[in-house]
Amino acid sequence: MAAASRRNAIVAVAVAVLLAAAAATMSGYPVYLLSLAMINVIAAVGLNLLTGNSGQISLCHSSFMALGAYGSTLLTVRFGVPFWAAIPLGAVFAALLGALLGAPASRLRGIYLALATLGFLQIVQIVIEEFANVTGGVRGLTVPKPTIAGVRVSEYARFLIVLVACALAVWTARNLLASRVGREFDAVRLSPHAAQALGVSVHRVRLAAFALSAAYAGVAGGLQAVVVGFIDPVEFGVSASLRQITFIVVGGMGSVAGSVIGAAVLSALPEVLRPVKEYSDLIYTSILLGFLIFLPNGLVTLWHRATKRFTRGDPAPAPQGSAP
Amino acid sequence: MTDRLAVEGVTVKFGGLLAVRDFSLRVAPGEIRGLIGPNGAGKTTVINAITGVVPLAAGRVLLDGDSVSGLPAHAISRRGIGRTFQHVEPFGELSVLDNVLVGVGRHAQVPMAHAAMATPLARRREGDAVREAMAALDRFELLTYRDTRAAELPFGVLKRMDLARALAANPKLLLLDEPTAGMSESEADRAIAAARGIAESHDITLLVIEHNMRVMMALAHSVTVMQNGAVIAEGTPAEMQRHRAVIDAYLGEEEAADAAA
Repeated sequence: MAAASRRNAIVAVAVAVLLAAAAATMSGYPVYLLSLAMINVIAAVGLNLLTGNSGQISLCHSSFMALGAYGSTLLTVRFGVPFWAAIPLGAVFAALLGALLGAPASRLRGIYLALATLGFLQIVQIVIEEFANVTGGVRGLTVPKPTIAGVRVSEYARFLIVLVACALAVWTARNLLASRVGREFDAVRLSPHAAQALGVSVHRVRLAAFALSAAYAGVAGGLQAVVVGFIDPVEFGVSASLRQITFIVVGGMGSVAGSVIGAAVLSALPEVLRPVKEYSDLIYTSILLGFLIFLPNGLVTLWHRATKRFTRGDPAPAPQGSAP
Repeated sequence: MTDRLAVEGVTVKFGGLLAVRDFSLRVAPGEIRGLIGPNGAGKTTVINAITGVVPLAAGRVLLDGDSVSGLPAHAISRRGIGRTFQHVEPFGELSVLDNVLVGVGRHAQVPMAHAAMATPLARRREGDAVREAMAALDRFELLTYRDTRAAELPFGVLKRMDLARALAANPKLLLLDEPTAGMSESEADRAIAAARGIAESHDITLLVIEHNMRVMMALAHSVTVMQNGAVIAEGTPAEMQRHRAVIDAYLGEEEAADAAA
C-alpha cells in the first residue's frame, strides 16, 4: 500500500518534470494547449469528487469556473489585487456560492438535481450578461497580463504555475479520497441510509462536496482567464459543463486518475476536430453515450484490467456500473 | 436507575396506515431485549422510529432520560444509538475495512484542509481509526476480507461486517434487525457469542429483532412481543413460549414445543 503510493508519487513527479522540460523546448501554441489541458484536469478532478464520489450530478460546473474566472479577474481589474492572490480568492468565492447552491441542491436527487444545477447555470449566465458595466456582458472581458512585483510573467512561467496548480489539485484530491472525507463522500453515494445510521450527516457531506468541487472549478476558471487572456459567458455555458462530465465518464467516475486521463485525452480532441468544429457538441455527446453504454467505469478500468492480468495473471472482474 | 432506552406511546403512520400504535418499551442499561412478532407486526418500523428514520405521529423516545425524538438520524446515531440492517445496506464498492472505517467516528474527524494536505494530524487520526477498525475486523473474524469489496461478500459475512461496522461507532444502545438471518447455525452461534461478549465487555445495551427462537432463548434476558403494531406481551423468553396470546399470534404450538425442547 505505502509502496504503491510512493511509486505513484514518483511517477507523478516524473511526469511533471518531463512536462516542464518538454514545454521549455516548445513554441507558444503547444505550451498554451498543454496549459489548457491541465486546467481541464483541475476542473475534472473537482467535478469527479462531486459526481463520481458524492454521487451528485451537476450541470453547472462551468458556472463555478466562471465565478472563479470573473471573480479573480474583477479583483485584479477593479482593486489591483495581484493574480496570484486573486485566483485563490476567486476560488473561495466560487466555493461560497457552491455551498449556497449545495444547501438546497443537496436535498435533491437525480433529474431534479440536474434541473436545479441547470437553473443555477442559467442564472450565472444571465447575471454575467446583464451586468455588462461590471462584467463586460456578452462582449467579454480582457484579462490583464499577469505580473509579479511589476514584472511580466512569461508564457513559460505561466505554464509552470498551471502545472504546479494541477499537481496540487491531483495531490489534494488523492489525499481527500484516502481520508475520512472521501470515505464519507463514497458512503453517502452508496447508501445514505447506512451512512446516517453511522453518524454521517448526509446533508452536510453533500453540501461540502458542492463547495469543494466549486473551489477546484474556481481555481481552474481563474487560471484559464490568465492563460487565455480573455473571458466571456459563452466559454462557461452548458456545453462546457457537458464537456467536463464527458471527461470524468471517459476517464473513470470516482477516480482521480480517471479525471486526469479523461481530461488529458479529451483536451486533445478539439485540435483533432478542428476541421469539423461545428459538430463538436454532437461528437462529445456521442462519446459520452458510447462510454456510458460500453465502458461505464471509464478508461481506468482498461488500465486496471491490464495491470491485474499482468501482475496476477487472473481474469479481471466484470466492470460494475456506477453511474449516479 | 434511568432506563437506557424508553419508548413512550410511539405511533407511526404511513399515510392512512397505522404501522405502530401507542408502542411503549423500557430497556435497562446492560439488558439484552428481544423484539419478536409475525411479519408486518411493525418491528423494523419501531427501529426506524427510534433511530429517526421515520417521523413519529405521537409519543417520544428517550436515551438515558434525554429525548432524542425529532433529531435527524445522524444526530441520534451520534448520541449513541447504533443499528444494523435486515438487508445490511453495505457500501458495496468499498472494501470491508473502509465500510468499518465509516463507522469509526471519533478518531477520524479531521478538518477538510488537514485531510487535503495529509498533515501529521490527519495521518495520526487516520492511523488511529485504521487500528480501531482492524481490531473490529479481528473480533468478527473479518481480517481475511479486509480488502474485499463488500458487494462480493457472501451474505453471512456481510451480516458480520454490518455488526462490526455498527459497533465501531461505539454505541450505548445497539438495535439489531435480524442479525442472524441468512447465517448458518454455527455462524449464527458465533455471531451471537461475539455480540453478547461485546455487549457485556463494552456495556452496550441490545434490542434485537430475531425470528430464530433458539437464538432468542440463548441471547435475550427478556422479550417484547408485537402484533399489528402494538405490544401484546412482555417477559422472559421462557414465559413468552408458554404465553397463550404469543403462541396464537406468532409461535404456533409446534415451534413453542421445539424451542422448549
